[in-house]
Amino acid sequence: MLRTENLTKKFGAKLALDELNLQVNAEDIVCLLGANGAGKTTTINLFLGFLDPTSGAAFVNGRNVADNVEAARADLAYVPEQVSLYPVLTGLENLVYFNRLAGKDTPDQQVLRTYFDRVGLDQDAADTKVESYSKGMRQKVGLAIALAKGAKALLLDEPLSGLDPKAANEFCTLLRTLADNGTAVLMATHDLFRAKEVGDRIGIMKAGRLLDDLKASEINHSQLESIYLDHMHDGGSAAGEAA
Amino acid sequence: MISAIIAKEWTEYRRDGRVVGVLLLLALLVAVGLVTGWSGLSEQQRQAQAAQRDDQATFLKQGEKNPHSAAHFGRMAYKPLPPLSVFDPGASPYLGQVIWLEAHAQDPAMFRPAEDAPDLRRLADLSVAGVLSLLIPLLLFLIGYGTFASERERGTLRQAVSSGSALQKLFTGKLLAVAAIGIGVAVIAITVSAVMAMSAPAGVLWSDILFRSVGLMFGYALYGVAFTALALFVSARTKTATSALLVLLSLWALSVVVLPRIAATASEHLYPTPDSETFWSETYQTIRESRPDRDSAEYKAAERLVLSRALGREVTDEEVAAMELNRSGLSLEVSEVIDANAFGAAYDQLYEAYEQQQEMRRAFSILSPAILLHHVSSGLAGTDTASHRHFAMEAEKQRNVIVRKMNEDMMLNGAGESFAYLADEDFWESIPDFRYQPVSLSYALRSVLWDFLLLALWAAVALWLAWRAARSQKII
Repeated sequence: MLRTENLTKKFGAKLALDELNLQVNAEDIVCLLGANGAGKTTTINLFLGFLDPTSGAAFVNGRNVADNVEAARADLAYVPEQVSLYPVLTGLENLVYFNRLAGKDTPDQQVLRTYFDRVGLDQDAADTKVESYSKGMRQKVGLAIALAKGAKALLLDEPLSGLDPKAANEFCTLLRTLADNGTAVLMATHDLFRAKEVGDRIGIMKAGRLLDDLKASEINHSQLESIYLDHMHDGGSAAGEAA
Repeated sequence: MISAIIAKEWTEYRRDGRVVGVLLLLALLVAVGLVTGWSGLSEQQRQAQAAQRDDQATFLKQGEKNPHSAAHFGRMAYKPLPPLSVFDPGASPYLGQVIWLEAHAQDPAMFRPAEDAPDLRRLADLSVAGVLSLLIPLLLFLIGYGTFASERERGTLRQAVSSGSALQKLFTGKLLAVAAIGIGVAVIAITVSAVMAMSAPAGVLWSDILFRSVGLMFGYALYGVAFTALALFVSARTKTATSALLVLLSLWALSVVVLPRIAATASEHLYPTPDSETFWSETYQTIRESRPDRDSAEYKAAERLVLSRALGREVTDEEVAAMELNRSGLSLEVSEVIDANAFGAAYDQLYEAYEQQQEMRRAFSILSPAILLHHVSSGLAGTDTASHRHFAMEAEKQRNVIVRKMNEDMMLNGAGESFAYLADEDFWESIPDFRYQPVSLSYALRSVLWDFLLLALWAAVALWLAWRAARSQKII
């Protein structure tokens, strides 16, 4: 569903992404771990067509993003680290609006309200202006927007940031349900614990390179932490090869 | 999708107190303009009707009098203030409303309210058109500066685009949402003005007002689209909403406030209109120099022309010499015929200067559509210099009719009496009253056609620039 071929992105002389080859299939949850500047967000932005690749290509559902970015976006839903909403609109109005932008011309508001339940937001919040929302509430609305779109692939950029442990756990459970129903999920995160819990595969990135692509079922939490820290502390590639 | 974008934008405007506040202020100023325009129109029409009645009564009650004395007494030609001056008084306050139709001279219009008013009055002279042309761009800039820049800063642009909305659709929705506010204000103001104009005291042609109003709506719509597109262009190009606002406020001050004044000053400087003293001294100098000797062929041809017109048949020089005529009357009419060319040339030169000034202002319109809108608005309202020229030409025709009739009466009926000849007291009733038919809609459309086309071009270019900028803007 999501695939990159030697995807490279430079910002001037700075190499942000270095020949990334990655594949996320339907029903898969792939978590990208890495420090700030590792290239996780750049990868997501390249899938969304917000950036043009310097070389290589990103594919969504078999289509090169560079060839038809709108078709690619139609198959994607995106939850950023800071979900941005219109502050003077209510949560439900935001959801309706983004749903209509996704091409749903006559969204059923009662159906849309159920997404608030699914992401753990009460119905009062749906009718409250977003300007009074906490960051966690905005994240949940962002996820509700993504769910309501019913996209084939979900791109998540630090979606757990700002969520309390309970909400984060519910969020991960929801992701698992979506994946089991056929959605491909690519999640950039700093949270090793959640990555191990929810991910099918875990990629470790550093300086624009994918150093490791691990099967979550084959390692435990402490092994993951160890591998990750090894990569962060040294050149990385040798440790990755050893793992 | 586009309707969703428009609905969302309008909900945001409605809940944003600043937009509502600006709209209320604009509505208040438009209301003041309407009241001012209406009182000006109705008062002028009332005064003109009363003055016309007085002028007619005084003229008819002259009793027995020498026609040439009566010609010097003259009549007044009143320019009816166009009904849509309630919307845009245009150049009316500066060009005069009454022309004195007297013997020997083609006078300019008198009674210019702008001359009589104290300087401070001009500051408070709020016409609806003036308010709209000045404040609609400001309103559109204040609403539109953040359309892309604020959304980019907030991150909602990224959210919207990733949801599946193409930038082109976002552009279209936002353009329609913003432009509709400005155009809506203009359409409401023009509609109310038109209704007021239709109920003006003097008789009006409803269909004429209706078509002119529709033309005005198109003109203001193009103006609104041009400034909305500019707002979206700047919003798409600048990094922050604050930068966009600063750039747009500078653009507003330059294109709406400063440039129209610079254009007016520069055009007056390059194509100066003479002051009254210079105009008359030069005109009379030309008249003196162009008067032929009484024995010249040109003078004799003029005599034959005058007498042929009076008798309704061709006459020879011998007949002119032999006929029993009031020679003073003949001489007076011959001088009218000969001087008419000099007066015509002088006024042609004056109006030529006005037209060159207008052309010069049009050149400045590359930088400011406000200049074009002023032309379109006053032209369709019937308050521009072209409309005034039409009135002045019609008044001159009437002056020729009156003076000729007086001179011919003296010439044919006062043989040997020179200026001692007195016309009957009934004679004055044979002089027709001045019935002015204002310029037709087609005349007005022709006079503003170029301005309309250039305004459309402005809107099209601004749209194209905004479209390109919106499509190629950075989302993150």
